[in-house]
Amino acid sequence: MRARATMPPDRMPSPARIARAGILAASVLLLTALPAAAQIGAVTVRSPRPFGLFLGDRFDATVEIEAADGFAPQAASLPKPGPLTYWLDLGSVAVAPGPLRDGNRLWRLSLTYQTFYAALDVRRLDIPAFTVTFASEAARSTTSAAAEVPSWPILVSPLREVQPPPVADPTEYMRPESPVPRRDPGPARALAWAFAALGLAGLALLARDRAWWPLHRRPARAFAAAARQVRRLSARSGDESAYRDALLALHRGLDRTDGRRVMGEDLPAFLARHPAYGALAQPLDRFFAASRAAFFGRDPAAARRHWPFPDLVATARRLAAAERAGAPGRAEAAS
Amino acid sequence: MNQIRPADAALTDWRQAALRFEAEIAKAVVGQERAIRLVTIAIFARGHVLLEGDVGVGKTTLLRAVARALGGAYERVEGTVDMMPADLIYHTYLAEDGRPRIEPGPVLRRSQDLSVFFFNEINRARPQVHSLLLRLMAERSVQAFDREYRFPHLQVFADRNRVEREETFELPAAARDRFLMEIGMEAPTDPDLRRRLAFDPRFHDTDSLVAEVAPDVIDQGAVSGIAAALQHGIHASPALEEYVVRLWSAVREPAKSGIVLPDVAMDSLVQGGASPRGIAFLIRAARVRAWLEGRDVLLPEDLRAVFHETMAHRIFLEPVYEMRRERILPEFCRAVLATVPAP
Repeated sequence: MRARATMPPDRMPSPARIARAGILAASVLLLTALPAAAQIGAVTVRSPRPFGLFLGDRFDATVEIEAADGFAPQAASLPKPGPLTYWLDLGSVAVAPGPLRDGNRLWRLSLTYQTFYAALDVRRLDIPAFTVTFASEAARSTTSAAAEVPSWPILVSPLREVQPPPVADPTEYMRPESPVPRRDPGPARALAWAFAALGLAGLALLARDRAWWPLHRRPARAFAAAARQVRRLSARSGDESAYRDALLALHRGLDRTDGRRVMGEDLPAFLARHPAYGALAQPLDRFFAASRAAFFGRDPAAARRHWPFPDLVATARRLAAAERAGAPGRAEAAS
Repeated sequence: MNQIRPADAALTDWRQAALRFEAEIAKAVVGQERAIRLVTIAIFARGHVLLEGDVGVGKTTLLRAVARALGGAYERVEGTVDMMPADLIYHTYLAEDGRPRIEPGPVLRRSQDLSVFFFNEINRARPQVHSLLLRLMAERSVQAFDREYRFPHLQVFADRNRVEREETFELPAAARDRFLMEIGMEAPTDPDLRRRLAFDPRFHDTDSLVAEVAPDVIDQGAVSGIAAALQHGIHASPALEEYVVRLWSAVREPAKSGIVLPDVAMDSLVQGGASPRGIAFLIRAARVRAWLEGRDVLLPEDLRAVFHETMAHRIFLEPVYEMRRERILPEFCRAVLATVPAP
């Protein structure tokens, strides 16, 4: 907290005086009849509690301005939030149109101030006056009018006596921190456990779907295992035996998916039994052609030239994706 | 890479002939594409065939059509319970002058030219006849009139009625092992075909049906040469050899290979069989199948296509399972093929 002013300790204000000053300042009504700017009617400042303010207190004020219909306050003319004087800050400003009465609209400015006046006795201070410009909202109109908001008083009070009795330990002037409320950690802990369980369950479901360890050796995710093995083998893709091993991995994936040994001639029947892989008919056909060339052909190296390793890896990945998409759980959920 | 290479133009021409042969047979026998394909494979693998099936499914018609399309000399005998080996070799009769005469019987009559020997109802013949047949099939030769007769082009087709059990003699294991294939024939299941078979008068007269088949589509005399050529022309890779070895051990030791059948103790199922000759036959037949499919490399598919027909009758089960053989063996073959990884 900043103390921007100190006053010599004179009289201490009595509560009755503060109350009287508050009642006086509670409502300041100012009627302005400006002939040049007839568009502006009455300006009323309402200050609900202009007394008993201590250092650092926030307090509100409402300014009601009557303006002719069609006039609106210019945002640029409103007081800016921020320090107004060395002891006063404006916290926030809001403006809202009110009801229409006799051709005049009542504009309401809500202001929040904060005082930093370190008073030594009860003291009357004046909130600075300001001007709000109203402009006609009609198209291409340049008419404007100024509403003068007068200053109004507030009463600030000291927090402590002027000369506190001396004590041995200055810390005795300090008051202990208000005790931290004892909160029950039970619900938060239960919530934490619940979210942890939810997270683990989600992880388990994801692992099951993606066939991660330890759920990777399932017949329902044969292609996921094959794709994993192919990806591992692709690290040494220059190796001839790695290519053959990758082909074998895909063979075993097909076998496990179908529950029998799938040979090249079985491909149409396999696709009929497993329509999930229908979109992969062409890559599978090329796979079997490559496998025949690699394992049974006269020129095993030809397989690689016709169906290179990256194609093999891509096909394995697509098979695993099709397997996931066509999983029984998914199909039921989709239907 | 799967196409026959141009250098093997003769093989390509023969393949066309083989496909034409199949088409001719299919004119007479409808709904039996698989049996026809297997018989064609047997012809080009130079192996003997045993047809098995219900009464009246077309076994005899198929074999008659095959004999007609094959060309070459053709003999046919009917198995009976009182038939003796001599009846096959010698024809004994009383001549007009009242003296007994002995002349060459069905097997010897066409001598070296005999190319199709058709043994109908083979299980009605006695074991003595079977043993004669054994030599005829294995060595393509027979001892008669104190000399050896050779039949270089001989192919034995036999059929066996599955229903009849009375007065029949089960073929000995050795005789069965000499057949390249045992082809089971079932009536067609397609409703349209069944209707045609029942109502189309064309199918009621077997003689005219067989007469529709073009004769001599294949020159039986030249088949041996082409059969040998294609056995060399079809490439079998090390991976395929590995697959065959795995198949073989799976048949011999199914429990070790992880084959499981319901209600069967796998470690005491197979008593014997799956001989090296059987495996050699399997490869021969598979090579022919690859050639018929227009390939010059052998694939596991080829082995699978002929596996049951070439292997099932060579597998001998423990006596406790032998009675259920008809049911267990197809399942066993299917399980072997479904378990052994390829490649």
